[in-house]
Amino acid sequence: MRNCSALAGVLLAFTLLPRGVQAQASMDAATAAFQDDVHAAAGVTCAACHNTRTGSGGAYEAPPRSAIAPLCATCHSDPAYMRRFDPQVRVDQYLQYQTSTHGKRMAGGEARVATCTDCHGAHGVTRVADPRAPVAPLNVPTTCGRCHGDAARMAPFGRNPTPSTDWSASVHASALLKRGDTSAPTCASCHGSHGATPPGIASVANVCARCHVREAELFRASPKQAIFDAIGQAECLVCHNNHRIEPPADAWVGLEEGAVCAPCHDQTANGAQTIRDIRQELGRLSAALSEADALLTRAERTGMLVDDGRTALREAREHQVQSRVLVHAFAAAPFAERAAAGVASARRAHEAGQAALQELQVRRRGLAVATLLVLAFLVTLGLKIRRLPGNY
Amino acid sequence: MWTRVRSWLDERLPLADVIETLRHKTVPHHRYSIWYYFGGVTLFLFAMQVGTGALLLLYYRPSASEAYESVQFIMARVPFGWLIRSIHAWSANLMVASAFAHLFSVLFLHAYRRPRELTWVSGVLLLLLTLAFGFTGYLLPWNEVSFFATRVGTDIVASVPILGEGLVRFMRGGNDVTGATLTRLFGFHVAILPAIATALVGLHLLLVQRHGMSLPPSIERRAADDPATVRAMPFLPHFILRDVFAWTAVLTLLAGLSTFYPWELGAKADAFAPAPAGIRPEWYFLWAFETLKHVPSTVGGINGELLAVAAMGAGAAGALLLPFLAGHTPRTRRLVLWIGVGALAFMTAMTGWALAGVAP
Repeated sequence: MRNCSALAGVLLAFTLLPRGVQAQASMDAATAAFQDDVHAAAGVTCAACHNTRTGSGGAYEAPPRSAIAPLCATCHSDPAYMRRFDPQVRVDQYLQYQTSTHGKRMAGGEARVATCTDCHGAHGVTRVADPRAPVAPLNVPTTCGRCHGDAARMAPFGRNPTPSTDWSASVHASALLKRGDTSAPTCASCHGSHGATPPGIASVANVCARCHVREAELFRASPKQAIFDAIGQAECLVCHNNHRIEPPADAWVGLEEGAVCAPCHDQTANGAQTIRDIRQELGRLSAALSEADALLTRAERTGMLVDDGRTALREAREHQVQSRVLVHAFAAAPFAERAAAGVASARRAHEAGQAALQELQVRRRGLAVATLLVLAFLVTLGLKIRRLPGNY
Repeated sequence: MWTRVRSWLDERLPLADVIETLRHKTVPHHRYSIWYYFGGVTLFLFAMQVGTGALLLLYYRPSASEAYESVQFIMARVPFGWLIRSIHAWSANLMVASAFAHLFSVLFLHAYRRPRELTWVSGVLLLLLTLAFGFTGYLLPWNEVSFFATRVGTDIVASVPILGEGLVRFMRGGNDVTGATLTRLFGFHVAILPAIATALVGLHLLLVQRHGMSLPPSIERRAADDPATVRAMPFLPHFILRDVFAWTAVLTLLAGLSTFYPWELGAKADAFAPAPAGIRPEWYFLWAFETLKHVPSTVGGINGELLAVAAMGAGAAGALLLPFLAGHTPRTRRLVLWIGVGALAFMTAMTGWALAGVAP
């Protein structure tokens, strides 16, 4: 609270300063930020981007927002110039930008849409690979969210804000933020970066298929492809959503409320039996896995080594992952075969757990018998010691 | 038949003389006699280590690529392999505990006095060897915990001035803990240390036989006034049967511990993985580990870790040379007693602190 008051005080003091002093302070901040800028390291100076303000005693003026992208493009779209810094650098950013929703609106005179500096920064620009960069994988959701999660900024464009919690609750966010997997998709992975635009119904599947290759293959070979095309549905999104892509659950397959099949299929629909069969097999496999895992954990807690069981369980999990992928074929046959292999592996894991627990019982019984014999020996020895002459 | 074998052996070996000597050997019997048995228990556990260690050698493979798998094989596939490995691990720990109990009982009963100085020195060296056995054996399963604990343990040696870096390289067989360290520590564990230990155990036993059991000063004074007040128990069969009783009880304890708490193997060591949380050495090194954790980085301009290591080295040297440093007056005996109590209290408190720190 005290910090907030202090900040408010500084801001108030700043606004009360004469305009010349304000401009000087702002220039100092820009100069300080530029020290760490990738352009400064490349020998680019202030005058490369800024004109001197007339009558300002040498102060630089900011370029108009609509001029920023063309200004950056003077260097970044020049392959001969850019090759001096990196022979493999791309130079199509401005072309891409012009095809993006941002670029089109900017060209139409709407200066409130994003331009280069909104995402990359103006005076402290760092390389994308630098984790401090606003466009580094871990920072992209925050950078885009600054505008797209803000209802006030989106309202003039007639768009609803995209709540940041949508992506944060997704499997993709979990992979990036919890596991640190920087290959996990963020906003730019599906929408594009410089050419950012919402993927249309026709291209959503292609976007997802870049990573989910097998699922896409199965879907395209299934009868669902033609049906979805005919009714204008955006394939993957129908079941998985777009930003809030949650971890898939077996309960998604089914005819009951909450299942993703239910909105289109009822108990009497074509394929209802296939849905029921797939759901039953998925449930059976999950149950077999949980049961085997619990048994192996119990055996491990007693100190037994159950590596064979763990190997079988890993195999079963692999079959489970593959059988969940095979759901995208929307047919019982290939799925049932894989699920049955998973159940068989889980059964082997379960048997290994049972064998370990039985072995433990054998050990304990053996110990009990040995202890009884040893105790008998100790009692005999004690009696013998007591009977020795001398009473010690 | 037995008579013929006996006479055959008598003709070639001085068995009759040995048995005759043992028949006449006696052990003092007084209220502190119970402490005499810890030496025998430690020796019994050493024999268990040799026996189970030899069996483990049949299957163990001392290389980074095979060590973990071979221990896994011993635990899961070799008949009673789990029992042999668990007994080896548990008896190693009980042996350290028993050796410490033996050392402190000898210290508190002042049994290090003339003419038993060399018995004490050989005993302290045997305790240090036991700790070295523990340290070298800890890495052999090549699991995650032992790998990182060995890295931390060998790092401590680096603080020794001038020789530190060289000593670390010698212990590790390189700059870091690798397969070369495993092979090296294995060599120490199964060849060099056992050879030295066997020679020292032989010397220790010989000296015990030569000088007999020591009487604590209070009993000694009483015996000087009236020799009849201190009784002597025949070694054969009275003392030896009690020894056998204690050994059998320890064996039963080992079997119970191995069955109900088999020694865990954990995950295989991965040099490139980050060190898991809760890395710590075996319980008998915890007091030193905890002490080093709390020593300031510099004390009076000198490296704190170096000071702590130097203090521990001085403590070990003082313990080794105790019979030559301590006087024989009641006052110096009291001083030795209080130093011993202080050392034991410090080690117990630091171990307790370390255990409390890692408790979930």
